[in-house]
Amino acid sequence: MARWRYVLVEALAGLRRNLLMSFAVVLSITVSLTLLGASLLLSEQVELATDDWTGRVEVSIFLCDDRACPAITTQQRDQLEADLEANPVVAEVFYESKREAYDRFTRLFADQPTLIEAIDVATLPASFRVKLENPQLFGVIRDQFAAYPGVEEIVDQRDVLNQFLRFTTLVRNAALAIALVQLLAAGVLIANTIRVAAYARREQTAIMKLVGAANWYVRLPFVVEGIIAGALGTAAAWGILYGTVPRVTRDLAREVELLPFIGVDQVVAIAPLMALAGVGIAALASTLALRRFLRV
Amino acid sequence: MIRLVDATKAFRRGRDVEVVALDAVSLEVTKGEFVFVVGPSGSGKSTFMRLLTREQVADSGEVWVSGKNLKKLRRWKVPLLRREIGYVFQDFKLLPNKTVRENVSFALEVIGRGRKEIRARVPEVLELVGLTDKAESLPHELSGGQQQRVSIARAFVNNPRLLLCDEPTGNLDPATSVGIMKLLDRINRTGTTVVMATHDQQIVDSMRRRVVELEDGRVVRDQVRGVYGYGA
Repeated sequence: MARWRYVLVEALAGLRRNLLMSFAVVLSITVSLTLLGASLLLSEQVELATDDWTGRVEVSIFLCDDRACPAITTQQRDQLEADLEANPVVAEVFYESKREAYDRFTRLFADQPTLIEAIDVATLPASFRVKLENPQLFGVIRDQFAAYPGVEEIVDQRDVLNQFLRFTTLVRNAALAIALVQLLAAGVLIANTIRVAAYARREQTAIMKLVGAANWYVRLPFVVEGIIAGALGTAAAWGILYGTVPRVTRDLAREVELLPFIGVDQVVAIAPLMALAGVGIAALASTLALRRFLRV
Repeated sequence: MIRLVDATKAFRRGRDVEVVALDAVSLEVTKGEFVFVVGPSGSGKSTFMRLLTREQVADSGEVWVSGKNLKKLRRWKVPLLRREIGYVFQDFKLLPNKTVRENVSFALEVIGRGRKEIRARVPEVLELVGLTDKAESLPHELSGGQQQRVSIARAFVNNPRLLLCDEPTGNLDPATSVGIMKLLDRINRTGTTVVMATHDQQIVDSMRRRVVELEDGRVVRDQVRGVYGYGA
């Protein structure tokens, strides 16, 4: 027991001895892990959004209503629906009337009255909403049904989704890259802290070695020092994410109704992974630094 | 206790200058002996001591301490070797922010001895070195001789079988040195092997113990009841 207390006391003394340096280490770990956590959460967000989007409509077949082309007849519409349902590529099909399209639109843009005023029930086209067995097979549907009488346009909704995905992936990768560079910087800072600590305690270390203290026992306070700094930085980073992300997504959810957003649950879920990264890099950097600066 | 067979150790100075610190030294020290290692600076005394604690490893030849071939000793077993060796420095190397008692206890704490054992053993050793009433003093409050006694207490607290002393009287005046030598002699009489590197002619002459003289890394003299220099 006395030995463990020794390790902890020495580690804390080391952190206090070089307070500014310890602060720099904690800060850089915080920045790094905040970015790392953010990129993890973005991945979660993308996954959540894609599940929801791809789980819904993939193809919209807009029907003519006398504006761009002669209005579709009831017979043509029934034929189209029957053919769609008979098609092996199609998993599900449902019809959205002009009324339903208008209702959905007003619900979607409830907070933008000028937009709603600009349209009426007649403006939006009726459509068939199609879910495919395999979203990649959009081409098959387009080729087969584009020439049908009364079909105005066939839109691959995944195009819209893909733009969103490309953007978020870009942001996520940028965050990840910065996080990794920052993590490397944190590792170098930790290594330097350990070097300073090893120098400050060189006499004590020399005595410990000569009276026969085990190698791990000589090293442990230094590693624990690094780990404590890493843990503090990780906790701060997680606190930042916990404090901001749910609030931001709640605001976003109010603005953008089409999408589900991540919340507190996901932030809690990434905590172990962040701890692993933060404490892991600290332990690794300390151990490598000791191998260099503290021969036993 | 100690056996060297043709032990050789060389160091590089600069690009292609090689200094041979120990040149094929063969030597045996049996259990319970008291041995002075003498010789001018650079004769190889320090290297000899460092080979025994395995701070350094011989380039060739064999070094045996306490039945262990140090060349073949696994790295993780080195601490176990050092627990059998007490080491006394010329400059004491006490931790300045710890009291006398804490400095001595430290040597037992870091090798994982129980608190009970430490509480029993430390006062014993402090009594042996005559510092019972200084237990709660800090090193800077003590004289040089007293500090060296603390250093010896720390080296001896674990009951080592071998005590290595590197110029233990080098920083002390003659009168104080005599006291330190009496203490080392008493420790030797408990059965502990003592090897002491020294420059101190007076002490060597007065003790009449075995003297091993090194010069340029070679043993040039090994006398059972010797004095510091030839014909002295």
